[in-house]
Amino acid sequence: MCGIAGILYKRGGTGRNSPTGSALLDMLDGCQHRGPDSTGFALYGEPSDNQLRMRFFVGTGNDAATAISKIKEVLAKHSAEIVEDVVIGNNYRVVVNFTGDIQKLSYDAEDVAKVISIGTSLEILKDVGTAHEVDDIYHVQSFAGTHGLGHVRLATESDVRPEAAHPFWATGFADIAIVHNGQITNYWKMRRRLEQRGFEFNTDNDSELIAVYLADKLQQDTSLESALETSIEDLDGTFSFLVSTKNEIGYAKDRLAVKPMVMFENDEMVAIASEEVSLNKLFPGQALSTMEPAPGTYQTWHR
Amino acid sequence: MQQIDLSSMSVREGNQLLRKLAEQEDVIEIINPDAQHHIGVGLTTATTVKVRGSAGYFCAGLSDGAQFEIDSNAGWGLGDNIYDGTVVVGGNAGAIAGVAIRGAELIVKGNIGSRAGQVMKSGTLLCCQNANFMAGYMMYGGRIIILGQSGERIGEDMSGGNIYVAGKINSLGSDAELIDLPADELGSIMEFLDKHEVPFTGTFQKIVNAGKKLRYGTAEPDVRSIPFFNFSGNADYWNKKVQEDIHIKSQIGRYRIRGYGTARALPHMSDIAFRKKIDPDKIDPNVVSTVNMRTEIGGINGAKPLKLSMPVMVAPMSYGALSASTKRAVGMASTLSGIAENTGEGGMSDTQRDAAEQLIFQCLGGRLGWNIHDMKRANGLEIYISQGAKPGLGGQLMANKVTPELAEIRGIPAGIDLRSPSRHPDILGADDLVIKVEEFREATNHELPVSVKLGAGRVRDDIKIAAKDGFDFIELDGMQGSTGAGSAEVIEYVGIPTLSAIVEAIEALHEIEFRDKVQIVLMGGLRDGIDAVKSLCLGADAVAFGTSAIVAGGCIACMRCHIGNCVTGIATQDPVHEARYTAEVESQNIHRFFESVRWQIAAITKALGYDDVTQLSKDDLVALTPEAAAITGLPYEPEHRDDTDTIAIRAS
Repeated sequence: MCGIAGILYKRGGTGRNSPTGSALLDMLDGCQHRGPDSTGFALYGEPSDNQLRMRFFVGTGNDAATAISKIKEVLAKHSAEIVEDVVIGNNYRVVVNFTGDIQKLSYDAEDVAKVISIGTSLEILKDVGTAHEVDDIYHVQSFAGTHGLGHVRLATESDVRPEAAHPFWATGFADIAIVHNGQITNYWKMRRRLEQRGFEFNTDNDSELIAVYLADKLQQDTSLESALETSIEDLDGTFSFLVSTKNEIGYAKDRLAVKPMVMFENDEMVAIASEEVSLNKLFPGQALSTMEPAPGTYQTWHR
Repeated sequence: MQQIDLSSMSVREGNQLLRKLAEQEDVIEIINPDAQHHIGVGLTTATTVKVRGSAGYFCAGLSDGAQFEIDSNAGWGLGDNIYDGTVVVGGNAGAIAGVAIRGAELIVKGNIGSRAGQVMKSGTLLCCQNANFMAGYMMYGGRIIILGQSGERIGEDMSGGNIYVAGKINSLGSDAELIDLPADELGSIMEFLDKHEVPFTGTFQKIVNAGKKLRYGTAEPDVRSIPFFNFSGNADYWNKKVQEDIHIKSQIGRYRIRGYGTARALPHMSDIAFRKKIDPDKIDPNVVSTVNMRTEIGGINGAKPLKLSMPVMVAPMSYGALSASTKRAVGMASTLSGIAENTGEGGMSDTQRDAAEQLIFQCLGGRLGWNIHDMKRANGLEIYISQGAKPGLGGQLMANKVTPELAEIRGIPAGIDLRSPSRHPDILGADDLVIKVEEFREATNHELPVSVKLGAGRVRDDIKIAAKDGFDFIELDGMQGSTGAGSAEVIEYVGIPTLSAIVEAIEALHEIEFRDKVQIVLMGGLRDGIDAVKSLCLGADAVAFGTSAIVAGGCIACMRCHIGNCVTGIATQDPVHEARYTAEVESQNIHRFFESVRWQIAAITKALGYDDVTQLSKDDLVALTPEAAAITGLPYEPEHRDDTDTIAIRAS
């Protein structure tokens, strides 16, 4: 149960150093009433070739030290050369030179620590607390980039823990993230199908399933657009979700239109949120020409 | 013209100012609305409100008599439950525009979202462009005019009202049909369009209810049924009641409907006992004056609490299921005993309001009888999610009981088998629920407690959601609770026993550290003060009695509450039957029953060594059966089973 937000600045617009962090912060602040328990951001910076940005939950104190040394062992095993690393809040952020198999690296890493995200441009920042509380620790506001997603969460069936916060990374696939409002009712059936094909899941959260489902399609050279089209057929339940990849964002909405979604688009950007109040945060005092996507529809945008 | 700038104050402050200004001003302008929720909610003064921008959820909701002009878009639930007035939206309106409206004229110049006009009762909703899917979902009356196209399943399960579509109709909903447009109706529509200066040339297709699902096909044969008490808790595998059920199902080919609660033997309050031996000879006859039982419910977040003379309330029961005289008697008894009454589904009549000093007003998915004026004269507002006897299902009121008077107060067509919606149009998740709760608070100036009625299902999750969504208290209902009409299989087999429910609920609140932030009122087959004290020991802040109050007032438990020919005049709307019920007499009987509960609560609390009911705790209890021990975590001490003391108290 939650509020979602996404923004993409188009090439012709203000460009690649757009204030995605502060825009998403404002949008989530506008819909915090939909989920006060935890807040998260998926932010895309400029991609760097052959470099991976990795984030882990490592806790604090001795736990963190132990987890970090184990992570370093895994990185060494996969010949991932550390370029820079830092501990922020309960996160360990590390940038590595890496040309190997990302899926194998991430599955091994998952055995020793909780992976938050891996990507050449994606970084997920999430924790318990409000948008501003998360910003205070992780400095979301200063983040510049082309696009990103955000999420506020009201924990209903699982605990209030940092790792249960959204966005979810598509475990094993670089640069794919998802924010989702709703409930996938054929979760276990879909998950078993994907597990039989060798994919691993790190949570029991249905949002992770959507991310891996889409990532799998993308890996098979399906476009994001067609992956979203089949997702409406394959996923059962109520959902409004946003997905992001290195270069695109997209949405899909279930046929019952149970979960809200409003979008605003101009030449410079597209912004999508659960409620118009989030969109208006970007344009205070203005009356926006917005639209509510129809049930059973999807769309994508390229940066 | 006065301005309200929402960039410099909260919507709550803005609405307070709006109500004040509306007393003198003809036109009030709201600037910088920025799509914020609840603008103009609860306004009942004739004035014009110009919203310079977009409005969020429930704009103009629960208002009566005002004119709203919104320059740009409106969020979900435009004009929710509006009584009278006009709302004009220059842009698009989100989902459930015109939800549950009771009158008024709503004009949306752009598109409208899904499920527009859901459960609307009266008034006109005009969409000048396209409507999304399921417009007119479960509507009871009024009209929807769509100048553009309509989405899929238009008129889904509508039971009354008219829908007119000028453009393409994507598909018809269940039990909806297309009919020819009568000439005079086109005239009336054109008149409406002219009045609101909406240019249009063309004609309409008309959609109405097809009438195939309004009544059950075959009625149950009239038999003298076996009273509830004759088989309730009886473990006989094949018994007379099973035989009767099979016989009747062989005639009607579907599930049976009956009143009352589950008859199965389930772990209950009688499977736990007090740890301390209670000597009935040592109970002071004036014990009531020696124990503090005063309880406040609902004030935890600053609202004006219900003030109970003991931790007891009346469980929600509707005028509809029960006769007006019965509701009056129960209300009078609640006043005599200093406790609170609850309207249940179906609205608040003057009779109920006058009889009960403290009255909770319940809001259900069909919004039957729900309105701003009765909200304002209530002492508490309650969102019904489900009921212990039939979690996940709406109420059923068979045609015999849907009289013209009752249909009027509920705003529905008379003479249908009313199957109330099982879900709220605007509560599809915990996130929407937050916004709904806030709407109620806005409409009543944050003065009334807002509670939720939950039938025990996924108790642990549901309680956490209810707590986080900011309710002041939760009425938690176990599966032993009764109903006026439910399908027999659901009553017997769906739900969670009251004992499990309270244990899980308290654990859930401790898990999220919310135990002191929300109160729990437990109900569901509680029979007397002994059950009440056990509930309090298990952590309930108060309890509610429904079935016991009705039985105290003369119910014979024939379980034919749904038929409408109640011989005691309780579960009927037929004046001939109702004439047998004398509210003055029965209110005294119900009052005396409540006083017996009071005495028992005082006597046991004192005997356990306390002088205040808040001192009761789980440590005062033991379990008599392994099942009860497993459910409650109480020590299994079957030797207490032979204590005759509690039986003596029961008899006092």
